[in-house]
Amino acid sequence: MFLNRQLLFLFFTLAVSVGYFISAMSLGAPFSDGGLTPSFFPILVGGAAIMFACILILQALRERAGAGEADAPGTYIHLWVVVAIFVYILVFRTVGYFISSGLFVFALIVLFSLFEKLLQKAILTAVIVGLAYIMFQQLFGVRLPTLWG
Amino acid sequence: MDFIILVFSSFGLLLDPVNLTYVIMGFVIGTIFAAIPGLTATLAMALLLPLTYTLSVETALMACASIYMAGMCGGSITATTINIPGAPSSMMTALDGYPMQQQGKGALALGHAAFGSMFGGAVGALLLIAVAPFVAELSLLVKTTGKFSLLAFALIVVVIAQRGRIPQAGLAACIGLMLATVGLDAMEPITRFTYGYSNLTAGIALMPVIIGTFAIAEVLMQASSSSDISAATAAASKTRIRRRDFLPPLSDIRKIGFGCYLKSTLIGYFVGTLPGAGGSMGSFLAYTEAVRTSDEPESFGKGNPKGIAASESANNAVCGGAMVPMLTFGIPGDPITAIMLGVLVINGVQPGPQLMSDQAGLIAPMLAALLFSAVVLIPLTLYIIGPYFIKIVSIRKDVLYAAITLLAVVGSYVATFSTFQMFMALGMGVLAFYLRRNGFPVITMLLGYILGPNLEEFLRRSLALSNGDPTTFFTNLDSLFFVLLTLVFVYFLVIRKPAEQQASAAAK
Repeated sequence: MFLNRQLLFLFFTLAVSVGYFISAMSLGAPFSDGGLTPSFFPILVGGAAIMFACILILQALRERAGAGEADAPGTYIHLWVVVAIFVYILVFRTVGYFISSGLFVFALIVLFSLFEKLLQKAILTAVIVGLAYIMFQQLFGVRLPTLWG
Repeated sequence: MDFIILVFSSFGLLLDPVNLTYVIMGFVIGTIFAAIPGLTATLAMALLLPLTYTLSVETALMACASIYMAGMCGGSITATTINIPGAPSSMMTALDGYPMQQQGKGALALGHAAFGSMFGGAVGALLLIAVAPFVAELSLLVKTTGKFSLLAFALIVVVIAQRGRIPQAGLAACIGLMLATVGLDAMEPITRFTYGYSNLTAGIALMPVIIGTFAIAEVLMQASSSSDISAATAAASKTRIRRRDFLPPLSDIRKIGFGCYLKSTLIGYFVGTLPGAGGSMGSFLAYTEAVRTSDEPESFGKGNPKGIAASESANNAVCGGAMVPMLTFGIPGDPITAIMLGVLVINGVQPGPQLMSDQAGLIAPMLAALLFSAVVLIPLTLYIIGPYFIKIVSIRKDVLYAAITLLAVVGSYVATFSTFQMFMALGMGVLAFYLRRNGFPVITMLLGYILGPNLEEFLRRSLALSNGDPTTFFTNLDSLFFVLLTLVFVYFLVIRKPAEQQASAAAK
């Protein structure tokens, strides 16, 4: 692979920094009437971020030239966890706390373990969701969304 | 003196069953989270943060103080029993704790760790109670330009303290500062970086930043790693532990010496006052000092209780030290004090010089709880649940992480009852996860985010007051003091230390 994960991330941070810097510039001139305007500080921060990102990219490129590619094969469970959280948030208010949380917690337990002993995992899910409900709604008086309103 | 009396009279609040329950619950939860490798007391506190809405400020801060103290000593449990520090601050404890465990003296090692933690935590809290009012009075002398230089000093020190990864720390701090600039400008009615999205007008809230950075990112880190400690915990759980084995003999304590406890405590306390230094640096320096001044340095790393005492006294003393800049200047020393700052801000309390005089009644119970946790809860927890520590550590990770994720995501909903904050927490979690995975210290990002608004405001106010003259930062004495202090730290951490390391490497 031409770009390893670390370099990709660094280029991403550089792109974000450049985008931020350009947005900061579009806020107007950094100085006005001898004082600083709302664009001054963001321009300063954006410039510093670009500088640090460039230093890190150069460092990473230099290290790559000296050593071979060493992208460790990793798991992708974290990506599925992100997807699970995203879907959970999407349906949280529509479907209500119990159904959405039940499915979410069950999915996470399966992701963090193996696809076996599903009944036991379903029972554990019910316990976790129930305890969290008691904690938020009953103990701390937080109103959680339900399917019935 | 009034403040000291107020703190000691606040012990009465601990007689309230609700307060006492939260303090004990906080301590037990903090111990469990610190003991389980991968989880931290910071995570426990991040999960607790949404619940502080429903508690009184005093109760919430008291619970935070007990979690903090528990977090510093809880890490020694797995450091000693399975050689995996539950928290980074217990790294040095493992060097002598685990060899003692292998010699069949694991319970005694835990007893020494608890005694050291108790001593360090108690003296650190007492120093905080004695010193904080004076620092608060001194801090009144710091005016606008000095405040900017102080905040800049804190941010620069936390970046350069990340030895070997200063550019990463610098970029992370910039990302934090970028996050802080989103929303309405503090001095002019202009929105920045909202891109027309009204939810961002008020800026990025603290709650999703903390929950995302510490809870969701941690779960993602665990999901992406394949570490398994079940074999180690299974081996350790075979050892039967009796409660009386925890008590360190008086002869051992005499051999370690009062001087070692006190010196390590003072090292930890002063390291704690520095932004970004934290418990691991405190325990490292204290351990190194104990080895340097010992008559038998070769015994360290082979089960010398003095190493455990030095490390644990120091890391618990950090708790007291780290609260000094947080309470007096609003500058958190480490992630936990950053979350405590969040608890204050969420409840409308602004840390700073006025806090100790105007709202001392809110702060005093927290300091009382810190002292109570050190003196009463550390030994009591060890005595009551000590024999079951290993069973707690070997709790099922799938269930644990699922529960943590649920609490974190629903917790981020609690603040505003909006799913936007939940998405924001997820976004922050993903950002913090990738930062951590690529070796970026997220504490610098958090500090950038927390200090950013004041840093910008004081910079602009200073230059407005001086008609745009930047020399104002050198002509005002309070500002000049912090500029010079920054230069001293840059010299010692960036210039002199690497030069010394290069010289010693060349000599080898």
